[in-house]
Amino acid sequence: MRIPRLLQAILVLAGVYFGFIVVFDYILEAVIPRSLLTMYMFFVTAGVFMVFTYDEDQTRELVAPIKAMVENPQYRMIRNVVFTIIPLLVGFGVYTKMRPSFDAPIELRTIHPAPPSTAQIFGRRVNLLELQNPFRKFEKEDPEQFAELVAEGATVYIENCQYCHGDKLDGKGPYAEGLNPTPLNFQDIGTIAQLQESYLFWRITTGGPGLPSEAAPWISSMPVWQNFLEEDEIWKVILFLYDYTGHEPRSWGHE
Amino acid sequence: MGARMMGVLSIRNVLRGVLTAGILALLPNVTLAQASDEENGEVIYAKRCLQCHGEDGDGLGPAAERLNPPPRDFTLGMFKFKTSAFDDDIANDADLIRMIRDGMPGTAMPGWSDMLSEQDILDVIAYIKIFADLGEEAELQLDYGTQVTSSPESIAAGKLLFEDGERCTECHGLEGKGNALKKLKDDNGDRTWPRNLTKPWTFRASNDPKDIFTRISVGIPTTQMPSFADPKSKKKLTIEERWNVANYVASLAKTEQVVHPDNFVVQASRVEGTLPVTPEDELWGTAPSSTFIMVPQIVGQDRFFTTANDTISARALYDDDKIAILLEWDDRTQSIPGDPKAISIADEEIFQDAVAVQFPQSMPKGMEKPYFLMGDAAKPVNLWRWSSGTTEDPETATIIDAIGINNQVTREGHAGLSASGSYKNGTWRVVMTRTLKTGSPENDLQFEEGRFVPISFFAWDGSNSEVGTAHAMTTWYWLQMTPRASSKPMVYAIGSGLLIFVILLWWGRGASSRRQKSA
Ligand code: HEC
Ligand code: HEC
Repeated sequence: MRIPRLLQAILVLAGVYFGFIVVFDYILEAVIPRSLLTMYMFFVTAGVFMVFTYDEDQTRELVAPIKAMVENPQYRMIRNVVFTIIPLLVGFGVYTKMRPSFDAPIELRTIHPAPPSTAQIFGRRVNLLELQNPFRKFEKEDPEQFAELVAEGATVYIENCQYCHGDKLDGKGPYAEGLNPTPLNFQDIGTIAQLQESYLFWRITTGGPGLPSEAAPWISSMPVWQNFLEEDEIWKVILFLYDYTGHEPRSWGHE
Repeated sequence: MGARMMGVLSIRNVLRGVLTAGILALLPNVTLAQASDEENGEVIYAKRCLQCHGEDGDGLGPAAERLNPPPRDFTLGMFKFKTSAFDDDIANDADLIRMIRDGMPGTAMPGWSDMLSEQDILDVIAYIKIFADLGEEAELQLDYGTQVTSSPESIAAGKLLFEDGERCTECHGLEGKGNALKKLKDDNGDRTWPRNLTKPWTFRASNDPKDIFTRISVGIPTTQMPSFADPKSKKKLTIEERWNVANYVASLAKTEQVVHPDNFVVQASRVEGTLPVTPEDELWGTAPSSTFIMVPQIVGQDRFFTTANDTISARALYDDDKIAILLEWDDRTQSIPGDPKAISIADEEIFQDAVAVQFPQSMPKGMEKPYFLMGDAAKPVNLWRWSSGTTEDPETATIIDAIGINNQVTREGHAGLSASGSYKNGTWRVVMTRTLKTGSPENDLQFEEGRFVPISFFAWDGSNSEVGTAHAMTTWYWLQMTPRASSKPMVYAIGSGLLIFVILLWWGRGASSRRQKSA
């Protein structure tokens, strides 16, 4: 038996709706805000409507069951039920919309926003696309000196960063719980392992206030480290981050 | 240590030496394994511990000055949280394993169980011991007797002993908040603070009565926390008494004012009568209390790493014209500049205690808030600030307009703000009241029922040299004036439902009459 087109449309919409919920809330475990879901569903509904009313025959087929229900006395019973349920649903919808909300507004933010191509750092305009860690070359050329640089980076880290990012670099420093957003976990493969050293340099030197607005710079507690550290110290602490976690920075070569 | 004990020790050592020698002779590869233990320990130490505990194990890593308490000095060979008897200086390996594995809450010392295996931990302990030439094992163990299970009677008995002759109150204060009237130093000369016993999440070991019993019996070596099992102590306690005190201390844990990590909102309840003006008013009991973590100001200029205040609780009430906010936080010291007693327990220079709430100057459009640390040029903030006063000057309430931590201006006049505070047994309670609307909406946030307003908190402990940009603070949270129940949503719901119903009826009618016509 062929599924009536109206039912098809309804099934598609329900599928998309519950698909979103399953993927976000259960698989990704990042509950999708209901306002966002409503917006998505608005577009999906519009799309489905357009597809299902592509030409006149299809349109007629789509609305045929509705027409039949309203006009055909045979379906009077169903019509009466539908005509009672719809106003009740609308009333309920209006009520829930107008009822005062006690849930704090949800703030969405991008965690690793795209970097600008240049940024004002240490009083000069730095081209982030070409920027390299000046000490990285010693890793191969002079391992002994490299180890020393890493150790100096470790000192910078313990004096300045461990309070929030933790001395295990796991984002669980003594003050991490008091911050929102919480400090990044460098051990996680989703953070520095995915980034280039120049990106880290940009994030460290310009801190929270240097973020673009989609990343909510006003709540990030990351300090503006160019106010506290020397340029060399920042490159060394970057060496330390990769050395301690065993991650490799992403390099231009790989892309 | 008495001569008898020395005797026992040396016999033991000889025995152990003979035994080990015998075993080593039989199993030559054990020597290798043992040697590499310490080597592995050294590697782990160099990578994971040296930065804090120092290359020579002296606790003088580069961050020592910025940590309170500072990292342990291993060259002393003394450990704080041990279960061997008070008169045996040597800690059990099990004690060290526990501190390294689980970490020490309230300090920078994390737990290492996710990074180091049991064996790694044993190896690093073997290495740490070298700094103080520790070889022997503890001889005398703590006698736990039979545990007295907690009961109202045991707690009551414990409370009497806790307060009797100022046994514990001398340092921990009447309600156990660590509000000492003494300046305490550890053996290294570093300032130590008696624990706030109402905040069990800051206990290095847990607040399980057994752990508390251990601390009371053993004391905390190298600090002024004494042993109450020591027969020489004038305030010594029997085993049973120590269990009673332990049960009492465990009962001190705060239950209402604890941090709920998923709570971001201070709900302001509506009051029909008059708003409370004093912190003691019973009406505050009707407003839910929200507690938030405070962190040191280490983001803006003149970073300050060792703040004393770590949490703050807020309640709020409002009526037709005003909103009142009650702030409560534990502060070990009432800082009164000019007062000799307050000066004697203060760190260096003494300043007033102070607290502030921060609001955006105007309601943010969309989700953009002002920068959490005192705003920015595009989005200024209002700070309502209360200072405790000195022996000469009374407490004050001021409004500060800020566009960044280096750009704060104290306003002339206080735009309808008033504040008053009181200090009791280690807790400050401050009420701030302001009108919901002010005469200058371009300078002041205007409150509206139901709206979520960003709010954050700042606190200064004047006895801990906290002044200006040296303070503790929170990130942004929300304040909502809980809206009144109203019939509006219901009226609109019924109205729109009816409207739709009429439209549908009309459609149905039209359709069937069309059909009849065409039939
Ligand atoms: C971020 C700094 C930091 C790092 C890294 C660190 N510690 Fe600690 N550690 C501390 C502090 C601070 C204390 C002191 C706490 C106190 O006195 O209450 C401490 C105390 C200790 C103690 C003493 C426990 C007691 O009962 O007195 C031991 C043992 C210890 N650490 C071992 C280690 C080992 C092993 C490592 C490496 C695997 C390590 N620590 C890494 C900061 C650190
Ligand atoms: C002379 C001052 C002094 C007296 C008296 C004193 N304490 Fe303490 N107490 C301290 C200090 C200081 C600390 C914190 C030591 C450190 O870790 O630096 C402390 C810490 C503690 C802790 C924390 C344990 C942990 O795991 O973190 C407990 C529990 C405690 N004391 C209970 C008591 C009890 C019960 C009494 C009375 C029987 C008492 N104290 C008497 C000074 C004192």
